[in-house]
Amino acid sequence: MTQHTAYAPGTTVLLVGTKRGLFLCSSRDRAKWNIEPTGLQGQPVFYAIVDQRDNCRLFAAENTEIFGSFIHYSDDFGQTWQKPERGIQFSPESGEKLVNIWVIEAGRSSEPDVVYAGIDPASLWVSTDRGCTWEPNTAMLSHPTRERWDPGNGGLCLHTIIPDISNADRMWVGISAVGCLRTDDGGQNWVFANKNTRASFLPTMYPEFGQCIHRLVQHPTQPEVLYQQNHCGIYKSNNAGEDWVDIQQNLPSEFGFPIALDSHHPETVFVVVEGEGRHNIDGQFTVYRTTNAGEQWEQLTNGLPSGPAVRLGVLRHGMCADTHDPCGVYVGTKTGQLFASRDRGDSWEMIADFLPPIYSVKAAVLD
Amino acid sequence: MSPQVMVTLPHILRPKAGNRAQVPVAGQTVRELIDALDQDFPGIRFHLCYETGELRPFVNVFVNREHIRYLQGLDTPVPEGAKIYILQSVAGG
Repeated sequence: MTQHTAYAPGTTVLLVGTKRGLFLCSSRDRAKWNIEPTGLQGQPVFYAIVDQRDNCRLFAAENTEIFGSFIHYSDDFGQTWQKPERGIQFSPESGEKLVNIWVIEAGRSSEPDVVYAGIDPASLWVSTDRGCTWEPNTAMLSHPTRERWDPGNGGLCLHTIIPDISNADRMWVGISAVGCLRTDDGGQNWVFANKNTRASFLPTMYPEFGQCIHRLVQHPTQPEVLYQQNHCGIYKSNNAGEDWVDIQQNLPSEFGFPIALDSHHPETVFVVVEGEGRHNIDGQFTVYRTTNAGEQWEQLTNGLPSGPAVRLGVLRHGMCADTHDPCGVYVGTKTGQLFASRDRGDSWEMIADFLPPIYSVKAAVLD
Repeated sequence: MSPQVMVTLPHILRPKAGNRAQVPVAGQTVRELIDALDQDFPGIRFHLCYETGELRPFVNVFVNREHIRYLQGLDTPVPEGAKIYILQSVAGG
């Protein structure tokens, strides 16, 4: 693996996608942060990642308001960007048109040149050459139920991609408002994985599909274990999504968007549930944490804003955890505040109060 | 022979055309002009149009100050010497 030279080993980097561009935060100690704009400025960036498999290539999903959506990649930590030779673009004959690019995820360590992207209209795109060219997964585009997929408020977006760490043929995706789908054969076929998750807004409470899954994470050492934040609940699966168990327990709301997991203590999961206004319930902005895989949740508020006029909301990609131990947790709000904790959420600090509305926060600890 | 016209590009797309504000293009219709632009500056069509061919909703094309939305859309004929403007809507927030 070629080593990058921009940052010292151990540096924590946050990529913050916003309504007006991509920002990069970096810190050696997670106490003092340097916050800089990248070369992608002015237009919405929904999501960005650092692909640490080979010299930390950055990928970003830019969805301009007027002139189209594009994946970009950078080999200098965001100073300059390139577009793929063949980006995400349907053929004219397909009858489909790209609306937004929602998520990009690096492939497994066993597939170093593979990168995945999820878009609206819900489809999975794959690059096998480090992002230079992209092709759609045809099985998802021709799913037998596809004509009955209805969009959520944000569109018919494939917003979550989980390549199974233990099995190169297995992957899960999350689509609003279709639900969780799983492939067990490398993307040739997709089955729904929604059993026991609610769709309270539909005539049938537990349909085969139509649930509005918001975000999904996989346990790093028990690959059959998944957690999801859904429009209608927080769930855990112990069997790769065959069925789900409601783990809302003492959380004050079933509704929220993001979910994150402590990779060193994977029974520790973080969520930000919200009230009807899609912001904090009562006047306290709160991150919730379970340390026992969802049996009980505690409120994390130390250093988070409180007051009668506090109205902070977090989008589905707006929270993540880093891979330090104790883990850092990072939360970006729709109003441009960025909060960081370096002690698993016990205490928080606002490290930026001036960013555009935040769409995504993604952490990487550099080797 | 297709008429030759000058197309004024929006600021955000000028880097794709060597940072030029105006470029000469030939085409009988607006659709052909966009095809010709894409030949000269590969990828520019995707900025202007969806894969299905229609103009993106906030992209406006004027032929001599008339919006093609009120003419024949992308099939609007292009007179010789016409001034073509591609402008973005004042939209968003």
